[in-house]
Amino acid sequence: MTLFLLVVLLPILIKGSSAYLFRATVEHRRMMREQFGRGDARRAAEEHAAVQEARRPIYEAITAFEAELAELPAARRKALRPAFKEVRETLALLLGPDPGAPLPALTRRLYGQTRWDQAQEKAERLLYEETWDYSGGEGKQVYVPREPLFEGTTLAPVFPIVRDNLRELLQPRLTFYPRFLTDRSFDAHFFGGIGAEVMGTVYLALGAMLIAVPLGIIAAIYFQEYAKAGPVLSFLRSCVNTLAGVPSIVFGLFGLAFFINTLQVSSGKSVLAGALTLALLVLPTVIRASEEAIAAVPRSYKEAAMALGAGQWRTILTVILPAALPGILTGTVISMGRAAGETAPIIFTAAVSVGPLLRPSELLTQATPALSWNLYNICTEHEAVDEIRHVQYGMAATLVVMVLVLNLTAIVIRARVARRLKG
Amino acid sequence: MPTREHILLTTREMRKRRVFGLLGRSFLLLVTSVAALAVLAIIFFIARDALPFFRISEASDFFFSKAWYPTHQPPQFGAAAIFVGSLLVTAAAVVLAVPPGVCAALCMSDILPFNVRQVLKPVIEMLAAIPSVAYGFFALVVLAPLLQNHGGRLLATAWWVLALPTLGLGSVVAADLLTPVRLTARAHGVMRSVLTLALLALSLVILITVSRILGAVQIASGVNALNASVILGVMALPTIVSVSEDALQAAGRELREGSYALGATRAETLVKVVIPASISGIFSAVLLGIMRALGETMVVWMASGNAAQIPKPWYNLLLPVRTLTATIAGDMGEADQMTGSAHYHVLFAMGLSLLVFSFACNLAGEWIVTRQRKRLRGC
Repeated sequence: MTLFLLVVLLPILIKGSSAYLFRATVEHRRMMREQFGRGDARRAAEEHAAVQEARRPIYEAITAFEAELAELPAARRKALRPAFKEVRETLALLLGPDPGAPLPALTRRLYGQTRWDQAQEKAERLLYEETWDYSGGEGKQVYVPREPLFEGTTLAPVFPIVRDNLRELLQPRLTFYPRFLTDRSFDAHFFGGIGAEVMGTVYLALGAMLIAVPLGIIAAIYFQEYAKAGPVLSFLRSCVNTLAGVPSIVFGLFGLAFFINTLQVSSGKSVLAGALTLALLVLPTVIRASEEAIAAVPRSYKEAAMALGAGQWRTILTVILPAALPGILTGTVISMGRAAGETAPIIFTAAVSVGPLLRPSELLTQATPALSWNLYNICTEHEAVDEIRHVQYGMAATLVVMVLVLNLTAIVIRARVARRLKG
Repeated sequence: MPTREHILLTTREMRKRRVFGLLGRSFLLLVTSVAALAVLAIIFFIARDALPFFRISEASDFFFSKAWYPTHQPPQFGAAAIFVGSLLVTAAAVVLAVPPGVCAALCMSDILPFNVRQVLKPVIEMLAAIPSVAYGFFALVVLAPLLQNHGGRLLATAWWVLALPTLGLGSVVAADLLTPVRLTARAHGVMRSVLTLALLALSLVILITVSRILGAVQIASGVNALNASVILGVMALPTIVSVSEDALQAAGRELREGSYALGATRAETLVKVVIPASISGIFSAVLLGIMRALGETMVVWMASGNAAQIPKPWYNLLLPVRTLTATIAGDMGEADQMTGSAHYHVLFAMGLSLLVFSFACNLAGEWIVTRQRKRLRGC
């Protein structure tokens, strides 16, 4: 069992940490400065100058080759042109747009590779062409170096530079990027962090708890202290039990049909509708945990309170609830983890793939991105799934850590309570 | 000294108190009913949006036709393949998860020392707490490429890891159980060793043959029914383990001690006494596991491949399938939500089917538990 836990958690956590701690290139620092206004301007200027100096021979070679290409014999020109185009495009991906060229419209094209691991991949792609070899019957992937193709031309010196001096070109440096957690993302998660998603998840989970906990505690008090055994009680109880068994996607459908289409709590998806749906989802857990906590309060407490002349209300409010509070808190924290991690109920009620960080005043009406939904979204429906693996892992790790921290808190609280009750 | 008036309440105050008490009570009942009746509201609203579909389209087509072309003109809503996909994935997940789950529960309740159990409980809880989308992410990004590239080797390794301890332990236990009781101590020992060795040899043959077969398997696509089932199995494990462990614990110390006192070995006690005594609890654990696997959305959406087809042959788990939950989640975006198109209603019809199925499981579970309670009270 522990093995299963490790097999699932380790890859997510290890690779996820690489979203926070990684070797960032000069392009990352440039992006940070231009988009977020962070970093030391003087040092950046120095670094920029050094990098430009290192890159100059490449751009010179390209300009020279463009002229040379025009004068080559037609057959050779035809052979080289597509390869040259590919080289130039990969180079722009690797190092950012050419210094003289007009600025591209897409933000992702404004900068080269911001991460050293991806930069190395791109450099490989520049140096080797990926083709398929069908000679053995089945297709096999082979990598053919590009350098011989351009042997003798003015472009040839580019390849050894990229191969041997990639460090000078990009200046990788180990960088800790804690603000991945709070930064907004831009250009569909190519750059920036996951701030909007994290806050969306927090809003949804807190909202669900705000609704579910009072309801759950009241229901638990009723079940434990007031209800008399009979058909009404057993009916209500089996309703709660059944609610616990409803599939999460059905909660999503219900949220759509009831909160949005019937009650119209908001004109479309909204945090409110999502929180209501999630609240229903966690309600049985909250009720059960609170009931257990209340049942665990020793009978003598209650009898003592009664004997001192307190009424039933006063006993519940001043004696039973405070004594049961740690237990209720445990249940609440666990349910909060559940609400934060659920995806299916918020798909139709609260989640959007791309959205800004919401202000508290917009919570009642606006949909929000959320970690769980966006994790699904960027690893299945994103246009460049492979380019943003680090964001996916980072998001998964953040979500898992959030949920596990909540659960560990609950476990610790429970252990404390158990010790205290033992005396 | 407090006077009589201070201790006793006036009639007016008594009445006030009673009214307030009644008000408070009805308030509590009201809130509780809201919480409890939510489930009725769920049934009502899902059914309200599902029923128009059966007016538009034939119910028999929905359940028995395999033509799922919701966006064609005219659309066809034959969900048979999707139902089969759901059942297939769920069944495979349960088959994968129940044996290790019950074994783990047995270990935790009867074999492992108390300290280990204290460590394992939080581990199981954490396994249960990991969000389903994280499992789905793992299935899609980590497991799927592994399956695709090293499928055979991975399957064979998994087989060894899972089957070696199971078969080894199983042959020891089986030999212990199969040895005839009415023998002298010496003959008993010899007989048991011989049986154990024979069974071990048999299991080794099985192990090697199956791992040969598995090792040669090629998997065309990593996102398939097997991937989804494995992850669903892992997700259902915590439920199965904790519920069946509770059931095994509930079998009681007296029962075990009675069995030991009659001279039974630990294996005999477990297999012949403890498991039969708690079988209903184990059943309800399995039911809960089924419900968890059937209702799970994100993992199957991400890992099962989402092809509305019935695999041929039907037990071929290496092909992609599509499940009810994934269809609802995936198609609701396309289905024009507000206008109430047929596509919208068909998804609610699927939701209703899921709901009905989970109610059936719930009722079955409750029935088993009540019956068991009656039986225990009876003897």
